[in-house]
Amino acid sequence: MINVEHLTKRFGRFTAARDISFTVKEGEVFAFLGPNGSGKTTTMKSIVGLNVPSSGRVLVNGLDVLRYPKETRQFISYLPQRVVFPENLTAREVIHFYCKLRRLPPERGDEVLDKARFNGFSDKFIGEFSGGMVQRLGLAVISLPDTSILLLDEPTANLDPQGVKRFREFVLNQKENGKTIVFSTHLLAEAEQLADRAGIFVNGRLVAEETIENLRQTHRAQNTIEDVYLHYVGANQDE
Amino acid sequence: MDFSAIYTIARQELVINIRNKWTVIFAVVFGILVVSISYFGIMVEGFSGMQSFTRTSASLLNLVLYIVPLVALIMGTLAFTGDKGSTELLFSQPVSRHEVLLGKLFGVFFSIVLSTLLGFALAGAIIVAGNGPEGLTSYVFFVALSLALALVFLTLSLLVSTASRRKSKAFGVTLFLWFFFVLLYDLLALGGTLLMKGQSANAFLFVSIFGNPVDMVRVATLIILDNITIFGAAGAAMLRFLGGQTTSIVLLITGLLAWVVVPLFLSARMMRRQDI
Repeated sequence: MINVEHLTKRFGRFTAARDISFTVKEGEVFAFLGPNGSGKTTTMKSIVGLNVPSSGRVLVNGLDVLRYPKETRQFISYLPQRVVFPENLTAREVIHFYCKLRRLPPERGDEVLDKARFNGFSDKFIGEFSGGMVQRLGLAVISLPDTSILLLDEPTANLDPQGVKRFREFVLNQKENGKTIVFSTHLLAEAEQLADRAGIFVNGRLVAEETIENLRQTHRAQNTIEDVYLHYVGANQDE
Repeated sequence: MDFSAIYTIARQELVINIRNKWTVIFAVVFGILVVSISYFGIMVEGFSGMQSFTRTSASLLNLVLYIVPLVALIMGTLAFTGDKGSTELLFSQPVSRHEVLLGKLFGVFFSIVLSTLLGFALAGAIIVAGNGPEGLTSYVFFVALSLALALVFLTLSLLVSTASRRKSKAFGVTLFLWFFFVLLYDLLALGGTLLMKGQSANAFLFVSIFGNPVDMVRVATLIILDNITIFGAAGAAMLRFLGGQTTSIVLLITGLLAWVVVPLFLSARMMRRQDI
């Protein structure tokens, strides 16, 4: 479903992602774990075709993302790290705009707004929204099309505890529907609860790619996934 | 090319810009200035009431040459260097980068069209009511040239925004462009003629018109208004150099078109392999 092959991305002299390779299978939930600047966002943006790799390639359903950008993005819904919408549009206008781009009827947008519990706020300007509501609107936008892949870059960063709970329900629901989900997070408990596998990013490298259970078993000395994560971060930062 | 995606993006950009308070302020201020210049322009000569279309166009020319490029550059830079989170979400949709680029360009352009037409139409209606429709065609040409000037500077702001990526840097460069084309260029062109003699100085001056869209619109407007003769022998020589009235207009409009197409092409080329 998603094949990342020897992906390297440089920004000038800085290498943000270094020879990263991994595969995400259909219906799998894959978590990107790592500190800030470890290459999670760069890798995710390369999967959706927003970043142009310096070398290597990304295949989505067998298609090269760079050669077939429009085709591969038909399979993908992507939520950026800090989603922003024009403040002088209403939630309904935003949703209808993305419906049109995805060639969906506006009724689908209204249905998603209802499900996201936007009642009462659908026709208010986004300038009046809290950070959490903007993030909820972002989640509503990405759940508009029935894409097989969801890419979520730190989706719970701006959410309150209730929002985080809703997000978890959202992911579990999408997982039940057979969606392939890749998300990045600092909250290791989140990865433990939601992901089938996790990739640990440190200094632009993918240093481990394991099931959550295997990660624990490999490092029996560590009690929690947090300890495992810190173990990898520490080991690679010492290098 | 998916024209429905371009239309959808253009429509949203238009709505965003129309609701922007700066667009509204510009439309109102421009409208007041246009109507005031049309009305008061003739009072200095001891008359009262509205001027004719020809006189109004000539009076408005300088206002347009100063304000329209500035507004197009500012509105373009604001639109083309949008928030990262919003841009990333838009570019992750199944639309090509060129479709996004064209959609945004058309959206901002039509918002400028609407906000300037408000003033032009208001002045036009008052002049027709006061003086009749004589000279209306020239006025319509003048309005069209003003909008063409807006489009040129909009594509320049697109090029600058695409190249510089950062809003602050893009604003710095676009403001320099405004200063260069509106204020500095003519001085440089005139200075250049000091280094030449006779015919070559004239030829240099006439060719230099094509290096500045502001000058192209100024000359084209004066030709349309039949006012090129205010330059005396120089005006006549320029018309002869450009090949007569009609040929001159065609050449100048083609030149303006090139000033739209080249920055657009360069922006699209740059964006093709750019990180979002």
